[in-house]
Amino acid sequence: MPNEAIYLWILTLTAFGLFGRRVSRYVRVLLAARPEKRWDRVGRRLRLVLVNVLGQRRLIEEPVVGVAHLVIFWSFVFFAASFFWNLVRGLLPFLPIPYADEVPWMSAALAVSGVAGLLALSVAAVRRYFFPPPRLEKSKDASIILGLIAVVLLSSLAGQWFRTSAPAVSRAMWWVHMVTVLGFLAYLPYSKHLHLLASPFGVFFASLQPGKLPEASSGAARREEFTWRQLFSGLACAECGRCDRSCPAFQSGSALSPKMLMHHMKELARGTAAGHTGAVFVGDVITREEIWACTSCLACMERCPVMNEHVPVLIEMRRHLIGEGDMDESLQQALKNLTRYGNSFGAAPRARPKWTQQLDFSIKDARKEPVHYLWFVGDYCSYDPRVAAATCAAARVFHKAGVDFGILYEGEHNSGNDVRLAGEEGLFESLRDKNRNSFARAHFNEIVTTDPHSFQALKHEYPPENGASSVLHHTQLLRQWIVNGDLPLRRKLHMKVTYHDPCYLGRYNAIFEAPRHVMAALGLTLVEMRRNRTYAYCCGAGGGRIWMEDPPVFKERPAVTRVREAAALEGVRTLVVVCPKDLVMFQDAIKTTGLEGRLEVKELSELVEQAMG
Amino acid sequence: MHILVLLKMVPDVVEELEIAPGGKALDLEYLRMILSESDDHALEEALVLKERHDARITVLALDAPEVDDALFTALAKGADRAIKIVGMDAGLSTRQAARVFSQTIAHEPGILPVDLILTGVQAIDDLDGLIAPLVADDMGLPYLGIITRLDLDAPKHLALAVKEYPGAVRGEFEVNLPAVLGMQAAEKPPRYVPVAKVRATMKSRTVDCLPVPTLADGGWPAVQVVEMRRNEPAGHAEMLEGAPTQVSERLCGILAEHGLL
Repeated sequence: MPNEAIYLWILTLTAFGLFGRRVSRYVRVLLAARPEKRWDRVGRRLRLVLVNVLGQRRLIEEPVVGVAHLVIFWSFVFFAASFFWNLVRGLLPFLPIPYADEVPWMSAALAVSGVAGLLALSVAAVRRYFFPPPRLEKSKDASIILGLIAVVLLSSLAGQWFRTSAPAVSRAMWWVHMVTVLGFLAYLPYSKHLHLLASPFGVFFASLQPGKLPEASSGAARREEFTWRQLFSGLACAECGRCDRSCPAFQSGSALSPKMLMHHMKELARGTAAGHTGAVFVGDVITREEIWACTSCLACMERCPVMNEHVPVLIEMRRHLIGEGDMDESLQQALKNLTRYGNSFGAAPRARPKWTQQLDFSIKDARKEPVHYLWFVGDYCSYDPRVAAATCAAARVFHKAGVDFGILYEGEHNSGNDVRLAGEEGLFESLRDKNRNSFARAHFNEIVTTDPHSFQALKHEYPPENGASSVLHHTQLLRQWIVNGDLPLRRKLHMKVTYHDPCYLGRYNAIFEAPRHVMAALGLTLVEMRRNRTYAYCCGAGGGRIWMEDPPVFKERPAVTRVREAAALEGVRTLVVVCPKDLVMFQDAIKTTGLEGRLEVKELSELVEQAMG
Repeated sequence: MHILVLLKMVPDVVEELEIAPGGKALDLEYLRMILSESDDHALEEALVLKERHDARITVLALDAPEVDDALFTALAKGADRAIKIVGMDAGLSTRQAARVFSQTIAHEPGILPVDLILTGVQAIDDLDGLIAPLVADDMGLPYLGIITRLDLDAPKHLALAVKEYPGAVRGEFEVNLPAVLGMQAAEKPPRYVPVAKVRATMKSRTVDCLPVPTLADGGWPAVQVVEMRRNEPAGHAEMLEGAPTQVSERLCGILAEHGLL
């Protein structure tokens, strides 16, 4: 039927034309953005696609809608294949091939996936309209897309059903199907369901090291100042709200919503962000309060099904604000202190090793004599009087275990982790260089640190020039010593405890089991909080937040939420931490919630010391 | 409008101070120098005024350890020119320091004309706050100190200054320019300038060095340091420790002992 073919040609060219016009505009925007290398390790990237696109791993974390989405996805894939098959056959009628649904096995597969797809769609619709989770975007757009998918599936099923009994109806259905899909194709790049097209690429080009910060830059405030992958995050976002549901800043009622951040990035990439009205993207569209609210805990990125990168986007904006001198007064003071004294406390560098005076033995100076382990103590462990007991306990444990270790004394400076996340790249580099100089003057084999934030910086942001073969967190060493029988544990501590995974040890470095192994060896019974391991709820201190004032409108500080979660566990009176910032934040939260006497915070080293007798 | 800001480095008291052998001065070997806090406020106020009015800022400092950092930071913040006066002996008296400033301003070509001279009202080594009034006196200019708000009426060539007085009273002043003003606090805390910007400034800008002017011999100083020593603590605070009930009992006991209960 040549006439039909002509109509189909016209429709196809129109739909692909509209589609191509929009997509080529996005491509031009991405090409004009800052470059970012994402073509390395193709095999690993394809595996990510396999797991997260074809397998939809992160979607299934929310099982009901996750499975429904998986079914819709696969039936969509099937129907897309059938569509292109039919399109080629329809456009080129002289080809000696049947239509897809005339092939028995394909027809059967379409019928099965069509019915499964419709069922899954109804699950999605019921969830969306009757039991929506918090932060799910309920837009007209989503309804249009759900409706279009339903028409695509129904028309195909009806076409097959009537093929022999009513060929005319069947043909009409075929046309409904083709027109709907072509319409869908044209509409797609204009809708939020652009994620359908963009997210597989987003996953392929995802960061292989999600905690790694963007290359040094002077920050970003305008479209072309972001990297193409940062802009792409906006395009891939489906606005499902998983990021908001996991975000401590959002949950505690601060200005930041990672979902809205991505939404605005999408508007920026599309050119529809407030730019036209004269508003400034960073400052008016995305406010200062939002930008500074992030604790850099990485929960949003860990949960995002399309592997978007919220934290790096915020860091770029922070770099821009720092360049403008636009920051919280207390952050400003902390940065001034770090610039001058190498610590955020504004204390004398010579006072850094003062805590060691509480010990009845002296610690080697790694700059003066060789040691096996160089202990990078970190600012909070060194200066904060609330952490001194835990730092001394760690020192005594190392000492009693007969470990050859030393510290840098006043040669140590803040590692720069929080500084970098606060967006002060130049100060980070200066601190890193000072520490590298100290490392170069010291003699040691490995670095160990009691601070997960320093751990992150030393392990991932200093190499290759930090001079150490490896960087370890003290819980990894403790486990190693326990496994080798090198840690003389004299008594079992029969206590029920719970444990908080620090963001920078857990989500950033996937060290979940070492501290749990140590707790088990001490005889502790670990009762997990609901949110543990990658789900752990941040204490609210990271990313420089510990130096900033709380926002004026705050529902509940993250640390308070977290200690309440711990205190609600039956029979648990101890919250074990392995990060000095957690110790400070939770001790404080326990005081403000009146949970004193009901819950106490212990650094793991203190418990190890108890067990060593 | 040309604003001149006088900067002075002072001992950083975050570091533990040591008295030099001889007991008449601080031991410079263990000392770190930092920009005097109220001078930093004077610079901030100058930058605010520059943003508000079309002004040019020159910062002028006496040579001291770490003064270059302070001057490059000032340039990075927005100062237009930085000058360091070099070649003087360490340990100038306040009067001598003021003379060095006023003589340099008056005689070095390229500094005058100046519309406004701002400096910190006080420094930890000039608690009397004498530098600014001495400079004003030397130069025959009006002086006003302890200023907490400042603005300019450029067409009338006036400075509008606010001073806070005890008893919640504030005074507003008009000062004819040129004048020397001693700043207590800028209207906002001194700004932060990113390290990268300071580094870039160090590469792209320079600090001008001027030789110290020859001062007329002032004779034997009338005020001399006899001895400098650390404060000896007069008493110690007693920390009450233990369970809340024990602490509160002990507290009641102490209050009763002193006849307060």
